[in-house]
Amino acid sequence: MPEQALLKVSNIDAFHGSFQALWDVSLSVNPGEIVAIIGANGSGKSTLIDTISGFVHPAKGSIEFEGNNISKLEPFHIVKLGISQTPEGRRVFPDLTVLENLIIGSYNSKARPERAQNLKRVYQLFPILEDRRAQLARTLSGGEQQMLAIGRGLMSNPKLMLLDEMSLGLAPLIVNELYKALREIRKRGITILFVEQNVRRSLIEADRAYIMEAGRVVLSGNPAELREEEKVKRAYFGA
Amino acid sequence: MTLLADLATPVVMGILLGGLYAVIALGLSLVFGVVKEINIAHGDLVILGGYFGYVAMTMLGIDPIMSLVIGIPILFGIGFAIQKYLLNRAFRISMDATLIIAFGISIILESTYQLVWTPMSRGLTTPYALDSISVGPVHVPLVYLLDFIAAIVVMLFLHEFLRRTYLGRAIRAAAQDRKAAHLMGINTDQVYAFTLGISAAFAAIAGVFLGLTFSFTPVSGMAFLIIALGVIVLGGLGSIVGTFVGAIVFGVVQTVSGHFFGVAAQMLAAYTMVLVVLAVIPRGIFGSR
Amino acid sequence: MVAVRRDMKAITAKLRGRLVPLTVITIVLALLPITGIPRVWILYLFLFFIYLAMANMWNLLAGYSGLIFLGPAAFIGLGGYTMTIMTWLDIPYYVGIIAGAIVAALFAMLISIPVFRLKGIYFAIGTLVVPEVLRYVFMLWKPVGGPLDGLGRGYPVHGIIDVSRVEVYWLGLAVAIGSILVVGYILRSKLGMGLAAIRDNDSTAESSGINVFNLKLYSFVIAAFVTGLAGTIFYIYQGAIEPRSAFSVQWLVTIMLATVIGGEGTEEGPIVGTIVVVLLYFLLARYAEISLIIQGVILVGIMLLAPEGIVGSIKKTRAYRHLTQLASRH
Repeated sequence: MPEQALLKVSNIDAFHGSFQALWDVSLSVNPGEIVAIIGANGSGKSTLIDTISGFVHPAKGSIEFEGNNISKLEPFHIVKLGISQTPEGRRVFPDLTVLENLIIGSYNSKARPERAQNLKRVYQLFPILEDRRAQLARTLSGGEQQMLAIGRGLMSNPKLMLLDEMSLGLAPLIVNELYKALREIRKRGITILFVEQNVRRSLIEADRAYIMEAGRVVLSGNPAELREEEKVKRAYFGA
Repeated sequence: MTLLADLATPVVMGILLGGLYAVIALGLSLVFGVVKEINIAHGDLVILGGYFGYVAMTMLGIDPIMSLVIGIPILFGIGFAIQKYLLNRAFRISMDATLIIAFGISIILESTYQLVWTPMSRGLTTPYALDSISVGPVHVPLVYLLDFIAAIVVMLFLHEFLRRTYLGRAIRAAAQDRKAAHLMGINTDQVYAFTLGISAAFAAIAGVFLGLTFSFTPVSGMAFLIIALGVIVLGGLGSIVGTFVGAIVFGVVQTVSGHFFGVAAQMLAAYTMVLVVLAVIPRGIFGSR
Repeated sequence: MVAVRRDMKAITAKLRGRLVPLTVITIVLALLPITGIPRVWILYLFLFFIYLAMANMWNLLAGYSGLIFLGPAAFIGLGGYTMTIMTWLDIPYYVGIIAGAIVAALFAMLISIPVFRLKGIYFAIGTLVVPEVLRYVFMLWKPVGGPLDGLGRGYPVHGIIDVSRVEVYWLGLAVAIGSILVVGYILRSKLGMGLAAIRDNDSTAESSGINVFNLKLYSFVIAAFVTGLAGTIFYIYQGAIEPRSAFSVQWLVTIMLATVIGGEGTEEGPIVGTIVVVLLYFLLARYAEISLIIQGVILVGIMLLAPEGIVGSIKKTRAYRHLTQLASRH
């Protein structure tokens, strides 16, 4: 019997002003999975993430989370329901300390009671954040800021974590650390949907992947299947 | 040096007056830094605070400072409502719309004051309003000292509030990165409404102390709005201390000008300084240097 | 020179459709006062002309150049005072009219450099300060200001005893029609296209080679000139001037209301808006105290509910679009 998908995106169109960024996009994420959305710049992957998070409302189609339609909700509401996004470029609050960044992550009312617990877990995952907790976020290195951004996302008690271009601009060693952390997070029962440009890395880490091009989903499947596809083979050599 | 002794009083008065300007400017600065809008009606909210104190004093016999217990929540509510029902909506239309609507609110407030309280100038003439304090060669009215104390209290409150409460942190976060704030589950519309509410609460305080220090008319709001803008541009956005320092500079410039050129020149000096500050100090779109 | 003439021909051609009705209306309006209509009508029509000229200019700045300018009173007061002072020096009032407009334009040029450095909100507040400063200056300047405001009757304009109401009416009509033509011309010229680019986005315009500062300066100075002109004519009608009303924010309220109600950024907007505003003033004439409150409420209401104004909203409707499509097919 198929489990109910945690997140189900069905045939959505999305616009930026009058420019259509997503065309009939569908995907689903099951509980406990790690799913990747792979695509180059301009493929619409970030718009897809923003649409799930509620910054863009789909012009057509629907988005369901745990069976409820969330397509018309405001971003802050969606966070409260359990979807957190670690945005592209990290976007930590530069003039707040590391600790303040983490604390503000538990702003939503569902997460506040568990703040102390979640904080401990984040420190376990990323010990360096505990070391640097009194420092202003903008003094952190790129990798540390990414850790902070992920930690901040965890503080909101998410069931689903969206990560947009987590590895952008970071050294391979750090990227390894981050993906290790993601696997840890999955072990704790949190489902992960991440967006990447790097095909090879994505197919190593993900259970399933969707490939996007020019606003459409062009391929999907598990890594083994995808590696056989021509497009993907070409991308390997390019990546 | 008799010049120094002569100047001592105006300078000290200027510093203390700066306290009043700081309270006025802090509200404006908060809204500007967080919501990225200049509330043109801020000066009029300050005057509303003044009229509120006036009503408390003349009709209820309550000392204006005491009346703040009621005045602050009322003005908070007004500010909250203005942002929630009018300005948040204006924001979605355009920046120009926000400006025009804030201007409209300012006009409504000013003309309501004219209707209710006539164009006559009013002041909060409490028994202690005319007392003064002397320390050495320096002679200052008691209310100026009260202004300064009020400023310190307000600044401490604001600092602690922003540092220790969830709402305060949310306000700071929303000021730094609006989208990321959304991702924290922060309802920025709500936060903005609270911000304007707090700003209006400060205006209530400023209004009472203003009324104790100067007399005011229905249209005095604009003058203080302009000075407040000069103060926040000079002091730097987002800095409580900076705003305080900027306010003191303005206070001193005003009192010293008054000392040399007469009372009539005071406002002119203040305005000129605002123009100079606007022209000279570089700033980005939202004022950060 | 040839290029200018060619431009003018092209622009006149574009205007042609509208010139005929405009001329007819102008002639009708010009003849009206002679036909013995009530004096009150002449007054309100006169106000309509003056406000229309100012609204057109404000629209040019706010609706087309992206400059929400909160200090039109500066030009009005400066124009009015220049003309008044000149009449005290026995210079004929009609010279004073032009002089007033020129002084306003020169002032605009003077403040343009610091003022255009201010963006958005700083520009708005900066321009709000300007008339305030002028008001103080003129109040302190003994001969023309001072604490008694000329004994409350204002400072009289000299040498206008023989000028009839109808003549001033015609002056008003002239500046109103002039303002329509000026805006019409600018919008169809290269200046207009540059302004459209600026209105959408300052920095993109700059990078495509448009000299943003110059274009803003041209609109600003032209607006100052015409606004100053309208101001001087107003004060000829009024016969006296004093600092508080000359630089009062009420001018801004009237002008903003007219432009916004009609539709910012549309050519016909100010016309429609000014008609509404003058009607409003007529209706509220007896309720002076609440008049401003109502004006404020209308301003807020319009911006929230119909920010494009009357004309703008009409243009958005499907019916209008159908009409224009039909028209272009013939």
